Amino acid sequence: MTTATPRTAVGRRGRFGDWPIAVTFLGPAVLAAVLLRLWPAARAVWDSLRSTPFGLAPTTWVGLDQYRWLFTDPAFLNSLKVTALFGIVVNPLQIAVALALAVLFNERIRGVGLMRTLVFLPVAIPQSVSAVIWAVAFRPDGPLNGVLALFGLGGLRYLTSPGQALASIVVVVSWIGVGYWMMFLIAGLKEIDPNLYDAAALDGAGRWARFRYVTVPQLRRQLAFVLVADTVSNLLLFAPVQILTKGGPDGSTDVLMNDIFERAYTEADVGAAAAATVVLTAVALAIVVVQFRLLSSGKD
Amino acid sequence: MAAGARGGRVGMALLGGLIALLFFLPLWWALAGALRSEQETFRTLSPVSLWTLIPGQPTLGNFASLVHGGFGRAMLNSAVVTAATLVVGLAICSTAAFGLAVLRFPGRTTVFAVMVVSFLIPFDAIAIPLSALFRDFELQNTHLGLVLPGVGNGFAVFLLRGFFLGVPKELAEAAHVDGLGWWGIFWRIYLPLSKPAMVGAGLILFVFQWQAYLWPLLIAPSPAMKVAPVAIAQLSGERGADFGAIFAGAVLTALVPLLVLLFFQRYFTQSLSGSGTKG
Repeated sequence: MTTATPRTAVGRRGRFGDWPIAVTFLGPAVLAAVLLRLWPAARAVWDSLRSTPFGLAPTTWVGLDQYRWLFTDPAFLNSLKVTALFGIVVNPLQIAVALALAVLFNERIRGVGLMRTLVFLPVAIPQSVSAVIWAVAFRPDGPLNGVLALFGLGGLRYLTSPGQALASIVVVVSWIGVGYWMMFLIAGLKEIDPNLYDAAALDGAGRWARFRYVTVPQLRRQLAFVLVADTVSNLLLFAPVQILTKGGPDGSTDVLMNDIFERAYTEADVGAAAAATVVLTAVALAIVVVQFRLLSSGKD
Repeated sequence: MAAGARGGRVGMALLGGLIALLFFLPLWWALAGALRSEQETFRTLSPVSLWTLIPGQPTLGNFASLVHGGFGRAMLNSAVVTAATLVVGLAICSTAAFGLAVLRFPGRTTVFAVMVVSFLIPFDAIAIPLSALFRDFELQNTHLGLVLPGVGNGFAVFLLRGFFLGVPKELAEAAHVDGLGWWGIFWRIYLPLSKPAMVGAGLILFVFQWQAYLWPLLIAPSPAMKVAPVAIAQLSGERGADFGAIFAGAVLTALVPLLVLLFFQRYFTQSLSGSGTKG
């Protein structure tokens, strides 16, 4: 545009732009974006096209074979199944609970600020801390079974039972996350024009009808955002699973991130881990792109 | 009618209070567990009673044994890494946001596109290949290796950019006329006007780094470099670990972000609603 130094460019209106100053402002962030996001993504694609037998022998080019092996590997197929099942259960559950809590805690009730904060607290503490606390809570001699015993019920096995472990993870993850999504929805509720409710009430709409025909349509953009953001974050679930079950028992909680971690670190199978990473990143990106389309169409 | 509405309100208050208590109970129980012996924690579970939630013989012994056992080092690592992330991250993210919001230069749309695309890739998804790259560069078990992934945060950049876009252009133009350079405009006009957004961006960076688990697990496995979230998880994974110490560690690790949240709650909700509605 211009070869003038920043000093002289600054003096003239309308010719603000020049490169050196842009580089100093944006350079570090662009460097971080490229080196810390794009480069490792490219490295994963590169590694996935090669094979690293036992991590010691020299790598060889295998093209797409790595993906072919992966999609016939029962362990990987199981982890796809577990991740999908987990997502199908946990996402609607969290959003329904978050929406119900948002509506409740948007009411004018005494102490509602404190109630909101208490529900939000688990979001603020590190996931690994939450997992550690729940690990004790789920023990056979822990408080959950203690409460069941109060009602004369036998104890559950929670994390050690293939039938209960994934449900237990759902409980922990929802306890952690619901307050976060609730806050987004409360922010959305506050933006709804109160006149809409008055008009609906005048038309004789009851509580449920007002929720169904005013609240939900007016919250559409926030709900779409929460749905996608929640789906991505649950797709990438790692810490609670790695700490509580390590994917077990019998692979019943072996979500994708845990499967990739095991492939990369326990089995040192770089090629397979890279291929699985590429699959995971592609799915996550696809969801994020859908999010942007939803949000931009919601503006019209 | 009015009585009915008031009755409904009381019912909702009771329901809300009950739900809030249920969410809070696990944390309260962990706090109680941190303040009493392991034996007392488990003895008061059969049967469950009010004493399950109240330490009968309160003690700070768990915290003492925890600090002697190397957990203090982990807390220190977490503090150092998070503080460095905050300072460096705020500098990088705010200058980038200023560049995207205010500067006009050739290739601006390309730079914007690169930033958006790269930050669309969730960090955790590429953490494992990134850790292989970091090992090639000998960054494992270093503070630098722990800090770097936290300094360029897309959410922080776009939160600040949105705020900077709202600053009237006339201010910058007037400053230009007065002979102020771009750095002066950034430092003396935009930053002082953007305190809430800076706090919001700082919170995003802080939460990301203090909560980090996967990345420190991958890049800093040495005992001297462990951060608190990893240390507490590994403490609980040990056979015969003392549950009193585990609870004490959990409380200490959770306390820092809880205090930060309490202090900055207003800003946090603000930035949350901003990022939610502006997409």
